[in-house]
Amino acid sequence: MDLLFANLAHGFGVALSFDNLFFALLGALIGTAIGVLPGIGPVATISLLLPITFGQPATTAIIMLAGIYYGAQYGGSTTAILLNLPGEVSSVVTTLEGYKMARNGRAGAALAIAALGSFFAGSVATILVAASGPLLTEVALSFGPADYFSLMLLGLIISAVLAQGSVIKSVGMVVFGVALGLVGTDVQTGQQRFTFGVPELSDGLNFAAIAMGVFGIAEIILNLERPEVREVLTTKVGSMFLTKEEWKRATPSVLRGTLIGSALGILPGGGASLASFGSYMMERKMSKGRAEFGNGAIEGVAGPEAANNAAAQTSFIPLLTLGIPSNAVMALMVGALIIQGIQPGPRMVESQPDLFWGLICSMWIGNAMLLVINLPLIGMWVKLLQVPYKYMYPAILSFCAIGVYSINNNVFDVYQTVFFAILGYTFSKLKMEPAPLLVGFVLGPMMEEHLRRAMLLSRGDPSVFIERPISAVLLLIATLALGLMLLPGLRKKKEAAMAG
Amino acid sequence: MRINAKDFWSGILLLTLAGVGLWLNLDHTLGSARRMGPGYMPMMTFWVLLGLGAIVLGISFFSGQDSLERWAKLDFVTLFVGIGVTLGAYPIIAAVPALTNNWYPLGIALMLGLGVMAVSPGWRKLALVLAGMTVFGILLDQGGLMLALAALIVVAAFADPTHRPLGVLGCIVFLLVLCWWVFIYELDIRVNVWPVF
Repeated sequence: MDLLFANLAHGFGVALSFDNLFFALLGALIGTAIGVLPGIGPVATISLLLPITFGQPATTAIIMLAGIYYGAQYGGSTTAILLNLPGEVSSVVTTLEGYKMARNGRAGAALAIAALGSFFAGSVATILVAASGPLLTEVALSFGPADYFSLMLLGLIISAVLAQGSVIKSVGMVVFGVALGLVGTDVQTGQQRFTFGVPELSDGLNFAAIAMGVFGIAEIILNLERPEVREVLTTKVGSMFLTKEEWKRATPSVLRGTLIGSALGILPGGGASLASFGSYMMERKMSKGRAEFGNGAIEGVAGPEAANNAAAQTSFIPLLTLGIPSNAVMALMVGALIIQGIQPGPRMVESQPDLFWGLICSMWIGNAMLLVINLPLIGMWVKLLQVPYKYMYPAILSFCAIGVYSINNNVFDVYQTVFFAILGYTFSKLKMEPAPLLVGFVLGPMMEEHLRRAMLLSRGDPSVFIERPISAVLLLIATLALGLMLLPGLRKKKEAAMAG
Repeated sequence: MRINAKDFWSGILLLTLAGVGLWLNLDHTLGSARRMGPGYMPMMTFWVLLGLGAIVLGISFFSGQDSLERWAKLDFVTLFVGIGVTLGAYPIIAAVPALTNNWYPLGIALMLGLGVMAVSPGWRKLALVLAGMTVFGILLDQGGLMLALAALIVVAAFADPTHRPLGVLGCIVFLLVLCWWVFIYELDIRVNVWPVF
């Protein structure tokens, strides 16, 4: 306990430095902005800003990128409630009850409980990350190469199983990502693989080019093809104070949302959107006000909003303790760390205490900032929606182009981005989910390394993966997850949940 | 029979990638399970991909109709001509001594192909947005950041027919100042800002 406090004190010392405070605020502001704006999500934004973080210290960079992710959860709820327009996937369910509440003249209350619930959930999740980090790290240090391989395989399979759309196609996308990760120099023999003699490819495909092309630029093209809908704010925000009755109904929902969100965030493949769906389903079945669902029940806002914010933070746990990204945003964080020369893994808590504890404390500070940014300034954020998309996309493109160039000062990376934009566009036309691809790309090379090491240690005997208990359990869970999702009944349920 | 065209082509895409990957992987030594060579992991990956592609392809016959968006005849023509122009132009440009460095052949060939695709309305938005990126790449080294950026914005602006000249000009001025401030003043990236002769 004492050690935890000492560590947290150290973390606050790091997080409260001027630079880190400034960049946490900047991240939270950018996150809120892109959360409000539909058509640009945290994945695209973080990949866009990845090159910019290059020159910053690692801690500051990660603090800012994390701010974008959880800031987006706050911002997404604003437009969901006021305009029936989910800025992010994770606030789709907020539109269901939130917009009804706004229609009933309780927009202010809905916004207030969304922000307060998020803040509460964020604080709890922060403590959870702080407490479980060192614990899980200890467990992780007893992992052998075989266990790591199985853990990564589990992560890959679950991220595919929980992705939207067809499971088998998502598994295909994961393997596609692993395949893309093979390009470059083989670490052990130094042989060039799939580089076609191009020296720029000997370090592998450019991670930022893939992320920006598939998520940023392909998204711009798709948005341009869709006719633009402009919503005008007609609802009045009204009083932000909750009535006693509303407090009484919302409090248990926030608690439940925090719980389920924290749990679903840790899960590989989980994350903010899964958590908000999960919490909404739970509130519809369990809360006292379930009869009112569909007519503006405050439980339907409080629960999911708490859940998505809790999950946005606990999804850092597998990354920080095991070095395994659980979703596309975390895959980008791995990319950011590797650009900084830090290999994510269980030794990170010890070797990078500034980063680990500083990030945790800055999450809490960032959440407090977001409360201030959001509640009094809501009018300003809604104004942002009046900027037409035709003025936004040239800006996004410019940032992409300069950003991707500046990583290696090489225009080849710009052309790589063009190539991946075409690929990303094709994916979306064929309904292939791109998020698992990114996770596969990041995990692929690590998996190969652990596989080789494990097989070398076992003298080429593959039974090591089922003889080691940790590995066996992980593989069993992976098989079960895959098997269950292939059953027609469960698949339908998932589709229903994803459709809201 | 009504097949799921989206799944069908997804399957084909995965199968093609797996096939090409396995073929390219013939160059790499496999090694043994104990001492894996550089070709071992690719071999496993692409075989799994091949299997998954086959399953996706098989499922497409039973998963209900889901057709692709309609392509006009012109879309087919410009797509194939565009790819042909890119592949054909690359070796020709690469043979010009003045253009061998800085990936000019790749950039110019891409630009020509995208230009062909922009002819058909179905590809126009895709082609113009990407042509904007490409022209940035071509101009950056000699033309400098300001010129490359302005060209990017002008080309990409054509992707949205509601853009007016004055609005685009405003966009250029605003973004040039913003990008100069962020990337040159604050981050100090190493790039020519103004044209070099």
